[in-house]
Amino acid sequence: MSALRLISSVARRRVPPSLTLGRRGYAEATDKINLSLVLPHQVRNLHSTDVVQVNLAAATGDMGILANHVPSIEPLRPGLVEVIESAGSSKKWFVSGGFATVHPNNKLTVNAIEAAPLEDFSPEAVRTNLQEAHRVLSGNGSEEDKAEARIEADVYEALQHALGTK
Amino acid sequence: MSTWRQFFTYNKYTQIAARAVRQSLKENERLAAEKRGSTVLRYQHWEGGKGGEQVNK
Repeated sequence: MSALRLISSVARRRVPPSLTLGRRGYAEATDKINLSLVLPHQVRNLHSTDVVQVNLAAATGDMGILANHVPSIEPLRPGLVEVIESAGSSKKWFVSGGFATVHPNNKLTVNAIEAAPLEDFSPEAVRTNLQEAHRVLSGNGSEEDKAEARIEADVYEALQHALGTK
Repeated sequence: MSTWRQFFTYNKYTQIAARAVRQSLKENERLAAEKRGSTVLRYQHWEGGKGGEQVNK
């Protein structure tokens, strides 16, 4: 019995005190991360708002960013950015690609060239554009034109997927 | 997915994607957005302390 107590006290003492300083924890449910959605023209974006969670479409896969996320830089696919401001209310934006940067001080910056709320998109325009892109892809233009059409088709397909799951 | 790398720079790629997003907006948003799409780059060549003409691309 006393041997057990000795072992446990030794184990406790062996934790170096420096480990308790600056230890990264997981986000609490009420912690918020500071989000800035920045576009070059900056007409309408979120600047420095505290949100609970941000769902991003990164090039390596979909990810959700909570408070106290480890600093990272992620290139984004053309896709949805869902901003959950508090439990229950979320706003969905479609961004044309760009970068998401988590800074060490609990800030998240999403840089994109174009972004708009999902309500601002017209499904008919997306369908027409997608058909046009497919037409170029299956035509006999240059490889460069086809690569361009491939990029556009990816964007339209992502848009359709996003609008379908609204 | 990265087949465009042999043709375009990343700059061009993001501009193409942004143009695709602009063309998918609803009518009144699209008109405002198209104006943004006309200028990608604006540069000015400087020589000997004097700037040349500003060029829009």
